[in-house]
Formats: sequence, structure tokens, C-alpha cells
Amino acid sequence: MTSYRIPGKGRIDRSKPVRFAFNGDNYHGYQGDTLASALLANGVHLVGRSFKYHRPRGILSAGSEEPNALVGTSRGPGRFEPNTRATVLEVFDGLSTTSQNHWPSLKRDIGAINDALYMLFSAGFYYKTFMWPKSFWNKVYEPFIRGAAGLGKSPTEPDPDTYASRFAHCDVLVVGAGPAGLAAALEAGRIGARVILCDEQAEPGGSLLSETDAGIDGLSGWEWLNTAMAELATLPNATVLTRTTAIGYYHQNFIGLCQRLTDHLASPPQGAPRERMWKVRAKQVVLAQGSIEKPLVFDGNDRPGVMLAGAARSYLNRFGVKVGNRPAVVTSHDSAWLAAFDLAEAGVKVAAIVDIRPEVAGHLKQRAAALGIEVLAGWTVTGTSGRLRVASARVNPVSRGGVVGPARTIACDALLMSGGWTPSVHLFSHTKGKLDWNEDGQMFLPGDHAEASRCVGAGNGSFGLAAALAEGAAAGVGAAVDAGFKAKAGIYKVGNEVPLTGVSNRELPTDRNASRAKAFVDFQNDVTAKDIRLAVREGFKSIEHIKRYTTTGMATDQGKTSNINGLAIASDAVKRPAPAVGLTTFRPPYTPTTFGAFAGYNRGELFEVTRKTPIDGWAEENGAVYEPVSLWRRAWYFPQPGEDMHAAVARECKAVRETLGMFDASTLGKIEIVGPDAAEFLNRMYTNPWLKLGVGRCRYGVLLGEDGFIRDDGVIGRLTPDRFHVTTTTGGAARVLAMMEDYLQTEWPDLKVRLTSTTEQWAVIALQGPNARKLLEPLVEGIDLSEEAFPHMSVAEGRICGVPTRLFRMSFTGERGYEVNVPARYGRAVWEKLHGAGQQLGITPYGTETMHVLRAEKGYIIVGQDTDGTLTPDDAALGWAIGKAKPDFVGKRSLSRPDMLKEDRKQLVGLLTSDPDTVLEEGAQIVLDPNQTLPMKMVGHVTSSYWSPALGRSIALAVVEGGRAREGETVHIPMPGRTLAASITGTVFYDPDNKRLSA
Amino acid sequence: MMHEHHPLVGREIAIRKAMPLIVRVAADTARFSLRIDPAEIEKASKAFGLNLPAKIGETAISGEKRAICLGPDEWYLTAPLAEQEAVEQAFADLYATAVHSLVDIGHREVGIEIEGSDAVLALQSALAFDIEAMPVGSGCRTIFDKAQIVLLREAENRFRIEVWRSFADHVWGLLQAAGREIELDI
Amino acid sequence: MLLIRCPYCEAERPELEFTYAGEAHIARPADPSQLTDEEWKDFLFIRSNPRGTHFERWRHQHGCGRFFNAVRDTVSDKFVMTYKAGLPRPTETELKEARS
Repeated sequence: MTSYRIPGKGRIDRSKPVRFAFNGDNYHGYQGDTLASALLANGVHLVGRSFKYHRPRGILSAGSEEPNALVGTSRGPGRFEPNTRATVLEVFDGLSTTSQNHWPSLKRDIGAINDALYMLFSAGFYYKTFMWPKSFWNKVYEPFIRGAAGLGKSPTEPDPDTYASRFAHCDVLVVGAGPAGLAAALEAGRIGARVILCDEQAEPGGSLLSETDAGIDGLSGWEWLNTAMAELATLPNATVLTRTTAIGYYHQNFIGLCQRLTDHLASPPQGAPRERMWKVRAKQVVLAQGSIEKPLVFDGNDRPGVMLAGAARSYLNRFGVKVGNRPAVVTSHDSAWLAAFDLAEAGVKVAAIVDIRPEVAGHLKQRAAALGIEVLAGWTVTGTSGRLRVASARVNPVSRGGVVGPARTIACDALLMSGGWTPSVHLFSHTKGKLDWNEDGQMFLPGDHAEASRCVGAGNGSFGLAAALAEGAAAGVGAAVDAGFKAKAGIYKVGNEVPLTGVSNRELPTDRNASRAKAFVDFQNDVTAKDIRLAVREGFKSIEHIKRYTTTGMATDQGKTSNINGLAIASDAVKRPAPAVGLTTFRPPYTPTTFGAFAGYNRGELFEVTRKTPIDGWAEENGAVYEPVSLWRRAWYFPQPGEDMHAAVARECKAVRETLGMFDASTLGKIEIVGPDAAEFLNRMYTNPWLKLGVGRCRYGVLLGEDGFIRDDGVIGRLTPDRFHVTTTTGGAARVLAMMEDYLQTEWPDLKVRLTSTTEQWAVIALQGPNARKLLEPLVEGIDLSEEAFPHMSVAEGRICGVPTRLFRMSFTGERGYEVNVPARYGRAVWEKLHGAGQQLGITPYGTETMHVLRAEKGYIIVGQDTDGTLTPDDAALGWAIGKAKPDFVGKRSLSRPDMLKEDRKQLVGLLTSDPDTVLEEGAQIVLDPNQTLPMKMVGHVTSSYWSPALGRSIALAVVEGGRAREGETVHIPMPGRTLAASITGTVFYDPDNKRLSA
Repeated sequence: MMHEHHPLVGREIAIRKAMPLIVRVAADTARFSLRIDPAEIEKASKAFGLNLPAKIGETAISGEKRAICLGPDEWYLTAPLAEQEAVEQAFADLYATAVHSLVDIGHREVGIEIEGSDAVLALQSALAFDIEAMPVGSGCRTIFDKAQIVLLREAENRFRIEVWRSFADHVWGLLQAAGREIELDI
Repeated sequence: MLLIRCPYCEAERPELEFTYAGEAHIARPADPSQLTDEEWKDFLFIRSNPRGTHFERWRHQHGCGRFFNAVRDTVSDKFVMTYKAGLPRPTETELKEARS
């Protein structure tokens, strides 16, 4: 294959050749190449098919703005990525890539029929076509749209890579390491400011890498770049990040930088993260984002081989690649002339320079003449030819009066275009900074800043090297000074710089029927100039509407190359000035960003905190099956060999009811409440009365929100007159503490009470069953466990197994129960000791499922399962827990609101299915009349439902409208295929007289 | 005596390059949460045997005792295990003249030491505030990824994290990931 | 992510350390039983939801733990100022000063 590499040119490392594949064919490139430059070096221009019309497409640009050259890359199993821009993808040995949007092959694609049917696919095609008949939607239209939709192929396997993130703070963040950004970073760095300089490319330099004519301070651009980078490397306060894209600019100078760490490596180090998201907080920001060249809009401007002139210059100077053997140039801006000159000087025959402008600077014409390049000034381009690659351009003279003359054909194998340059204001726009329309330059420029930031260089409309350096240096100093440093800017002498000008255009004038022209504005979404004009004719006037109707600027490139061309055409069609039509809003991320980069460390085991109790290790070693409860993982049940969940739970339940069970209750929230007003505080927070609770006694407390609904519950013990040990639900621990702090700090700051979370200070082992006391007695010191001294609902401090304990006598099972609190690090040893000592009593560890069954048999509610934030204590059959004599407590006033007193409120009841073997589904809806017409009136739902080993049948709790008054009635639960019947009962299924609590 | 179980015991992350990073589990210590009216700070200082810092973020050290001011009325106290009961007794005696809350949180927390010239870098993986600007000898409560911690800067390149024991694994996992990046110099 | 100045720590700290806690300057009535159902409903549910200056409560949850008040612009999202719980609403003059 012919090589298009030019000896001696470019910054690629010729000592490091690499092999890569594109669509199964193997090619050679060099380290330093992008996929685009390496393909061009091999003469490959056709790299993909367009999204809508499946037109053959080539490489338009040399940067991250690329709309066309999107490829799929594969780095091994699970490492397929679609839509990677070939212009930023660095080649490495073994890289495998494929083109997109075609079948069966890139060169022969069935979907290209869409191109012939383009009249059907005009603006608003989807809205107009898929309207009727309605019955077509499911069977015809949706499958069609789903089949056609989507750019590239989604990966199908989980991503095996890891990702990193890092917070960083600096005085000055400089985005863009072109000449302006470098000058800013150098100046701010020299002064001593903490500087971060980032650039999305593999190496810093920006335009210096591609535009090699001018020099700085007597050095060539590249020499100066080396000097600048060497100096930055000596500054300990400066950090340079390449391959790092500033993706979003948020409030108070918070900027997200996505750093690509390993994508360019053939064999990344084991365990290295693929990307890192930097979250930078900068005192000052300098945006030196540069500018993006505009395509010209003419028929056939999307043919492979038609590319931006600046890109061709980059491929030549930076990568040593000529984009063709006989390129032609078509332009309305001087800069494209420099591309032609560079190519000619590198020995490439330039077919012609076609300039839309009738008048062009004399020095350009002279240089063209000296290089033997034909110049056609005041000419237009009206078409291109060539099936999979441009073969010729059709050009016509345009008279001063605008009359397009007869066509002439120029043979060429590349057509380099330039419609001028658009400052990149994306990040500035993220901040809601105001954009001002610059009529002369036909561009939006940064106006008033919303953040502490500065825009410099081409990104600020200050084109040219001297301007960029001066503005960058001034901004670097200014930013450092604003960040608290003192300094003056250095001066940069620029030699050899040619001042450049240009004009902007809409569609280029043509002698052909404009309504048949395929003059593309948005290459990625296949939007043409006439689509935009059609949208305006159909009544769309705002650019935001035109954008959504035509989809211009809505592709993954966010219209980097198309927005201003689209706006110019829309503005002309609407007959209003561009700023009145407006610019669509740029949103983060600046370029497509992986989900992995956003997730950072939070995947796999670090996705979320997994809290484990001090006893968790024992449970794991003893075969526990776990369930997640808020952030905790809790032992759900302990299956023995051959047992399923049902059998294990039945065995565990039986052990508790007949002898002794042990349960890890460490996750329960615990709050230590201390102070002379502790009892008064609890009295105000909880519904129950607390002032008269004796030391050494416990009480079950119910906590409401101010709206009167149950928020939490738990047992509270009084250790001393001024010290309470409060327990909360597992999931409610943090919420309850925050709520209590809120009342203490803001409503009752006069109360002398302090709160401390002790959830994790204590490991809690619940011992439940008739033999609990028998087990404990020989192990406990300093606490009299006799019935008289330590009755149900008691608390005492002493020692167990030689370590301190807070021992509670309480029950969430209906059996005699104790909760042994020991300092957390002793939790496992005490558990093991109790487990060992309990063997002769048949002690059985049980999990949360058994705990649920046992408490449901007793009608004990679980807040958040049997309640849902709309139940009052009375609704939940907890009216007894309200201190009737108390003047106030949180939520009390709400309990007398009219809605709260209605008799048809949903109330907690028991349900017994008519078939005792049927276990209802939790969440199932309840109706009174199963024969009513649809939709049925639902009067409640099942909140808890289990098989009860003690009763030998199913039981359930439910909330039902006016349920308590319906006791004995039959309700119905419609399920798929059948309707179940159940009768309403009280909520206590087992031992209603609580005899077993002291048995 | 019963065996004590630590969530991280015996584990260490040691990146031994020219720029080392060592992350290890700190030795046990007695820990207390003290909540008291700042007007009573002198009495509390006397009871603890150390002048309590008055400003949030400040720490004070005397011998093996340390106090960090975490909030306007909140101090995080650490002392040798042997002095646990003496501290409790001293504050119990103080209660009659200055009401307060002293709560034993010795088992609630796990201490993690992060040391080395890349210690800051390792912590930047999940700490959102400007840790480079954190004064040596200061301490604060903050959040490390999704885990609330108390962070101390004991020296230029030495930090200590105090974290609730069930969050310690998560913190450790992040430090391990950050340590890997430092090891690979990536 | 915003930076929020905690009036107790007297420092700007990252938003991650804070939690929002609803509209400010809505005191719980000293004796709720004296309120009519209508008044109690207003206290419970009715909030100002303004466009622009909003007085709100935040808590330095993962910091000093204090609840405090803040003035924030609901259009720009930005904080105008923060002040300790219990202090009165800032005056127009104070707000103007904080904005400049």
C-alpha cells in the first residue's frame, strides 16, 4: 500500500512502529499517531457511514470535535467501546478497530438506500412519519426506530476496568496547553501559584504542534514548547495533565477533568485504573480552549477526502502525513492558504486554492504564485464527485452581483475547506457566562463571567500567536494576583506571524437547484442546510426548537463543527440577526465521557459501604445467608446442610419458642442521651411518658414526625437519672439522631441534654427463649437476674464473661429475652462463649427472617415495613403508647387534625387466609368485593406475611381502611389467575396474654 | 480476658518506593466523646488533665492524651487504655458542678495511620476539602467518600483517620486503590 | 459542588459535608394545642418556595454537626451568606452587602 508519510516531517516516533487493525485489515503506524493520522498515512479516508443516510464518510478534523470518524475499539474481553473518535484515539501495538453504521460492509452498505430516499428523511421525519395509524406503533414503527436508532453498538459485557478519582485544589487552573494556556501557566507558576494545566491531547502545545511557521523569542514554535514544558517541570507548584479533558465547569470554580491513563498503552500495568476523574476546585480559572474550524456548507461537502484545512495542516506538520497527492483548497479564510503552502512546500501538488472572497491579501497570492498554486478568488464550490473518496470538485465563478457562472471541474483526491474559526466557549457557557455576538467575526465571544475566570487566546476571539501569548501571560498573572500573589507579566516576542482574516458564509452560492443539494451542516446527525430552512418554513423560529426538530447539534459532538453554520442559516431563514435567534446551550460533558470515570472508585466492592457487625465474621464462617438492611449486611438465616430457607427458618423459630435462640442485633441504632433534662427531652420527642421511668427500667418508645406519622421506634433504658440508652431501628439510626439534634439545637436549646451515637460502640447479642436466663446466670457478674430484681423491661450494667455489659431484659419475640450489649471488639468472643455454653440448652443462632416471623406472630410492627410514613400510632394499633396526659410531644397536634380522626383510615390488622397453607405476598392489594368491575377499589395491602411454625399456618399483617371495625369480615386479595380470601383478625397471633415473656 | 476483634487487624498497605506510603491500623486507645458547654471548658480541661482547644479544628496534646475540638460544644478525647477509668471517674466527679456528657466510644472507632510523602495524594482520592492547606496539628470531622471520619494531621506527612468500625473496610479499600496508583506512579 | 461557609467552623467546606434541612425561620409553636387546624397545617406544610432569595437551614452534618441558616439564590443556586441558628433574618442592607 502506498505510504502518505512524508520523511522527516511530524512528531511521531519513527523508532516505534506499531501494528493495528481496522475492519480486519492490518496497518502500520507509529507511536504518536492517532488512528486518523495512521489511517491517512495508509491512504484510508473512508472510515464510516453516516447515521441517517449511511453516506460514506471520512475524517473531517484532527481533534475532539470530530463528527464523522467514529469507530468501535476493542481492547479485549469486556473492553469494547463504541463511538471513539479516530482523531483522538492513539494507536498502539495490537489496537483493533472497526467502522460503524453499515451492513454488510463499509464499502457496500444496504442502509445507503436511505441516501437515495433522502426526500423522505427531511427535518421532522420521525414526527411526521410515525403518526398514524395508531395500531402501527407497537408492531411497525417502534421496531423500525429501535432497529435504526443508536450510534455504534453498545458493549454487552460488564466493564472489567477500574477507575479512579481525585480531588485537587489550586490557585490557577489553566484549561488548554496551547500557546495562550502555556503562557498563562508559566506566568502563574513562576510566581509560585499552585497551577494545574490540563490538555485533552496526548501532548501539550495545541496549535504550536500544527502551525509551525511562527517562532517565539527567537526559537521555533517546537523549541519554545520544549523550553516551556521543561520550565513547568521544574516548578513543584505546577501540575501538567495531558490526555485530560475538562468536561464540565460547575459552581464556584469546580471543574471536572477526565484523565485517560491507560487507553493509549498496548499493555497497561496490572491493576492500573483506566481513567481518573479529577475534581478540581480552583481559585481562578483560565480558559484557553482554542477554536474550532468551521466547514463550508456546499453540496457534497461530506464526501471522504473533504476535510478541514487546519486538520490537513495538523496531519502534515504534526503527524508527517499528506492527506492526498493532489489536494485542492476551498476557503473563505486566510488560514487555509497556509495549509496549502505547507503542503506545497512539503512537495505535494496543490491543485488550486478556491477562495470565496473576490479580494485576498496580496502576500498570499504572491506566495501561492511562487509555489505554483493556481488561485481562483471569488469562486464558489457547487459539488464534488467520487464514490468512496472525493475525485473532483465542481467550482464556479461568482460575479460581484452574485451571479454564479459556468462550472469548472478540478480533479483532486482531497478537498481542504475552511469557513473560518469558532472560539470554543463551551466551558465558559457551562457557568452561564454571558456570550456576546461579534458581528465582524460572526462568532459568540465570552462576555461577562459568572465565575472567577478568564478566557484567552483563540477561545476568546484573539486569534494569532502573539495575541494568544500576550493574553495568556496577562491572564496567568492576573489570575495569580487575584489568587493572592504579586507579579507582572513577561513579554513574548513572536516572529514570522502572518495576520489572518476571513469571512463567514451560509451555504455557498450555487448554480444548481439548492433544494436538491446535500450540503451538510451537522455531519454526525446528517442535517443539511435545507433541513434547517425547512424547519423555519414550518414555523420554528427559536434555535432551541430548530435544533430539536432537525436534531442539528444534538449528536455526541454537541455540534462543535456545526452550531455556528446552523445558526447562520437559521438566522438568514428567519430573517433575524444571529444573536436574536440565539445559541443553544452547551452542557457538560464537553466530550463523551465514560460512566466508569463518573463512578470512579465506587464500583464492585466499593460501590457502596457494606457495614458488617462485630459478629459478622462468625456468621460467615457458619454459613449464614445474608440480606442487606440499609447499609448493613445482616445474617438472614443459618441453613444447615440440606436445609432450604423455609426449613432453616422453621427450625430457628422452633428453637426460640422451645428453648433458646441467639441473634446478632448489633445493627440497631443506639444513642446515649445524657444530661439533667434527658427525661424531659425524651418526653417531648417520644409519644410515651418518660419522666417517671425508674432507673434500671426500659420502655418501648414511639417517635413521630411533626405530621403525626410514625418515624421510628425502639426500647429506651434509663441507666441513671440523667443517662438513657436509646435504641432505634437499624435503618433509622442516623435519621433519628439528626432529628433529635435538630430539635435540641434549634427548638429547645435551653435543654441541658447531649446526644452521642453509640451504635458501633456496642455489639448486641439477643438471647431469646425460655432458657435464656439459665444460660446467662452463670456468666453474668454484678447483676441479679432473678425475676424480682430483673423483670421484663429492665436494664443493668455489670460484667459478662469478664467484660463490661449493659444487659437489657426485653423481647422482640414474645419469649423471655435478654439483649447483651458488650463493647464492640468483645462482641465476637462473647458470642462464641455464649454459643458454646448454650450447646447443652440447644442454643440456635437465628437470622433476620426468623426474627421477622417471631415478631409478626406477636404483632410487633417493623417501622418502614408495616408503616410507610402515613400511619399514626392509632393506625398501627399503638394507641396505648401515647402519653395521654402529656401536654405536647412531637407530632401530638397533628393527631387531632380532622383527617387523623376519620374512621376509615387504614389501620393495621391481622389476616388469616382461608387456606392456611397459602402465604400471601407482601404488598398484595386488598379488596372488599372480588366481583366488582375493574378498576377495583383497593382498601389496603398486605404489609407482612409469613409461614408461622408456632401456629402451623400462614399469618399476615395488613393495613385496611377502617380495618379494626371489620374484625371477622372476609376480604379478598386478587392475584394473577386467582383471588384469595382472608379474614380480618387482631394483630397478635401468639400468646396474646404475654405469659411467655416471663416464662 | 476475652479476645478483641478488630476489623482491620494485621493489615497494612506499604508502598515502598522512593516516595513511600504506609497505611496501618493504629494501636488501641481509650476514646471519649465529650459534650459540654464551652463556658465550662476550664473545668473540663482540669478533669481531663489537658487544656482543651477552644476553636473548632484545633487539637491539643499532652503526653499520650489528645483532644480535638470537633464542634462548638464537642471534643474528641483520646487517652491511654490504662487511664480509661481514671478519665471516666474525673468527669463523673465533675458532673455535679458542670453538667456534661462523656460517652465511651473507644470501641466505636478504628484508627488508621497514613504516612509518607504521598500521604496527601492518597487522601485526595476521596477527601473533598483542600488537605494540602490543612495545618499540621489540626483535626476535623469530614467525609471520606461515603464514610464519615475524624481526620488528624499529625505531621506534614502523617495523618490519622478515626472511623466507625463498620466503615473502616470501605476507607481501607479506597486507600488500597489509591496506594496502587501511587505504586504504579500513574 | 458548592462551597458552604459554616458559621460555627468559620470556614468554607465542601457541600458533601452538609445536608439541607428545609426553609428557615419557621419556629415550632410554643404550644401547638393553641393553634387552629388551619394554622397547624400552615406550619406543617406551607412553604414560601420563592424565585430568588431563599432563607434556608443547613446542617454541617459531617463537620461540627451544627444546624445553621443560609441565604441562597434559587436562580443561581449560590449562597449569599450563612449565619448561626437563632439569629434573626438578615436585613436588606446586610443582604446587599453580602451580595457585593
